[in-house]
Parts: sequence; C-alpha cells; structure tokens
Amino acid sequence: MDANVIISLNNVNFYYGQNRALTDITMNFRKNKVTALIGPSGCGKSTLLRLLNRMNDLIDDTRVEGDIIYEGKNIYSPDIDPVEIRKKIGMVFQKPNPFPKTIYNNIAYGPKLTASNTGDINMLVEQTLKQAVLWDEVKDILNQSAMKLSGGQQQRLCIARALAMKPDILLMDEPTSALDPISTAKIEELIEELKKDYTIIIVTHNMQQAARISDETAFFYLGNLIEYNKTEKIFTKPDVKQTEDYITGRFG
Amino acid sequence: MEERRHTSSHYEKELQEIKNDLIYMGTLTEKSIKMAMESLTERDSALAQKVISADDEIDRCDAQLEEKCIRILALRQPTAIDLRFITTAIKITGHLERIGDMAVNIAEKAIQLNEEPKLKPYIDLPRMSGMVIEMIRNSLDSFINENLELAEKVRQQEQIVDDLNEQIFRELLTFMLNDSKTIQRAIYIMQVSKNLERIADHSKGIADMVTYMVTGESVRHQEQSAD
Repeated sequence: MDANVIISLNNVNFYYGQNRALTDITMNFRKNKVTALIGPSGCGKSTLLRLLNRMNDLIDDTRVEGDIIYEGKNIYSPDIDPVEIRKKIGMVFQKPNPFPKTIYNNIAYGPKLTASNTGDINMLVEQTLKQAVLWDEVKDILNQSAMKLSGGQQQRLCIARALAMKPDILLMDEPTSALDPISTAKIEELIEELKKDYTIIIVTHNMQQAARISDETAFFYLGNLIEYNKTEKIFTKPDVKQTEDYITGRFG
Repeated sequence: MEERRHTSSHYEKELQEIKNDLIYMGTLTEKSIKMAMESLTERDSALAQKVISADDEIDRCDAQLEEKCIRILALRQPTAIDLRFITTAIKITGHLERIGDMAVNIAEKAIQLNEEPKLKPYIDLPRMSGMVIEMIRNSLDSFINENLELAEKVRQQEQIVDDLNEQIFRELLTFMLNDSKTIQRAIYIMQVSKNLERIADHSKGIADMVTYMVTGESVRHQEQSAD
C-alpha cells in the first residue's frame, strides 16, 4: 500500500438487513489530509464514516462485505478488537456529547483506564485541551461540569476527548451542524491545525465547509462513490456531471 | 449538454439575468461600431457624436453587471460551472466596456477625418469592421450556448483581422511616402484600423474565457508563449 495511504477500502458493500446502503466502494484515504464526504441525505456517507471504526457493529442486522485495510489488516477480521480500532480511529459526532462529568474527567476518563500515574494524566489533559484550542477558556474551571460549557466549547471538548486516546484518524460526522458561525469557524480552524498530526475524515452537508477545510472530497449518491478528487477540482471543474449538479444545487 | 435547473428558481433567474444583460450590452457595442464606421464612410459627424454619447449607456451596463456578479459571488457563493460562469461574465463585461470605448475612439477619428478631403475610398476598413462585429456576436453566442467550436472560430477570425490591419498599414505607408500632406489623414485611418484590431482582440478575449468556462482550462496567452 502507498505510504501516504492510511486506510483503504476495497470493494466494500454494506447492508442494513436486505437493503444495500453502500455499493462496491473502493477508495484510499490519505494520511494527514482532511477528506470531506459529501452527498444528499441517504447517500451512504455517514454509513461509510461509521464503517471506518466499526460503529455500525452496534446496529443489529447489518453486514459488511469487502476489506477495509488499516495498518495492513482488515479491520473486520475476526481477530481484530473493535475497541482497539476505536482508540486509533476516534469519532466526533453531530451534537456535542460530553459525559455528564467535570471537564477534567471528560478527558481523563479514557486514558485513566490505561495510564499508570495521575501526573501523566494531568499533562495529557492540558496537552489535549491545548490541541483543541480550549485550554485558555477552561484552565481555571477544570472541575466544573462539562455540561455548563457552550455548544462550541463542548464540541471542542469532545475533540479533545477523542485526541486524548492518541488516535491516528479522527472521524467527524457533521461536527458543526449544531453550532453558530463563530464556533464553526473555531472548529474549522482547529481541523486545519489538527491535520498536521492526524488524518481527518469529515461528513458535512455544508458545501462551503467542505470547500474551505478539506484537501480531498468524495461525492456519494445512492450508496455509490460518484467522484473522489482534490477539493479544488471538485469545486471548480468536477469530472462528473452529477457532482457538478449536486454542488451547484441542481439536484432533485 | 443537458442543462439542469437550479433548485432555487431565484438563483436560476439571477443567472439568466446576467446572460440577458450581456446580450443587451453586446447589442449596444455592435450598434456603436456600426454607427462609428458609418459616420466615417458616410462622412456623418452628427452620427459620430451619437456614438460618443451612447457610450454612457454601455458604461452604465458594465457597472450594473459587475455589481450583479459581485452580489451573486457574495450571496450565492457559486461553485463549479456557476463559479466559472460568473467569473467569465465579469471578464466579458470588461471586454465589452472596452469595445465601447474603442467605438468612441473610431467616432472621434471619423469627426477629424470628415473635416478633411477624403484620402481614399474605404474598402478594407468596412470589411474589417464587418468581421469584428461578427466576432463579437460569435463570441457572445459561444458564451450563451457554451459552444467551443464557435469560440475557436473567433480565435481564427482574430488572425484575419490582424492581417487586414497590417495590409491597411502598408497601403497607407505608400500614401505617406508619396505625399507628406496625406500623413495626418493616413495616421487617423491607421488609428481607426488599430482600434478595430483591438476590438478583435477583446472578442478573442471573450472567446478564451468561454473556453475556460466550458472546459475549466485556461487558453489565454497560449500563442504568445508559443511564439
């Protein structure tokens, strides 16, 4: 596999019961890049995102075919522990979902299960909150409940929480759709910073957001990957007419 | 190419309006060139004055079109074909505005030439102006219909106009060499010819933008770098 590729899908099909939600998807995600998944509701983009860290395992009566190769192994092999996968491939959801705990414990909760001493954890909390550009806003209120933070702060806390597990890849499912423009801008700036150290795959309904922050964009329609190209190409001269119709609002 | 309509009919209407405005502006510039040339060949200085005052309307169209395009950029944030369409429209309005100015230049030279005895019958200049008017029309048709062949035709016509301009230049040179009293008038005629040649350049500029709009590839400055 190309050294720039961090995770790759080979002929992946996915079924909810009898319904095929993804059809024969083959694509490579590149390391330290932001890849945006776009397409109308029901096109399979969120399903694909959740496949990448086995979140769909939690839904009954679903089935995966094909290979998703990460670190040389199919993540759906019987010998792979999905919990380990989810540590390396973290996820941030549409609505901020902090634990009903203190800000400190939101970050520390995961690492505490594995770390050997509290000093390391304190450092990790500070480091990840700094990475998520939240430290200055919360450093004096670490023992306050995370639920008291604003929506934008909560979402950055969720990103910090995901970073605390030291993942390779961050999956983001419409991470700003519940946020105001200022909070959205902060998250977008954060994403650009984070791609130096992480690979980010983001589902977004906001075309301008995809155009602003991603390096590569994949357009899905009815469970098919229609076009996967550099973002600049997709938004100036896409190769496929269907992509052009969608991003210019000529769909339906 | 099958054309699908925007989900937003208002947006669709705004884009259509840009097309209509450019066609209108193209019609005005064609008319100005025709009138300017007629004022020269028919020695009608009053007509030349009309060309000069008609330029205000072309300038007004240019300003209004630019404003509409900027508004769409700001409010609709166009992408892909819509983005290429709007950037092309902004360039085209600039070219048409300059073409209008050149029609004014020709009208001004006509007024000066009409005050002197006719130097020679005008044969090549009307041929040239006929061709540049066709070029403007072709370039705008290629824009409206996304017609690459027509855009290519404009590029070829531009070469013919260049050749005509050089031919006129050489012919006028012989007049000037034979009789120094013709120099002033010959220079004015050369300037008319030069202005027509510049109009052809602007039409080619429009055609090049159309090629960019349709293919996403820039063809501007290609011949220059090949020379």
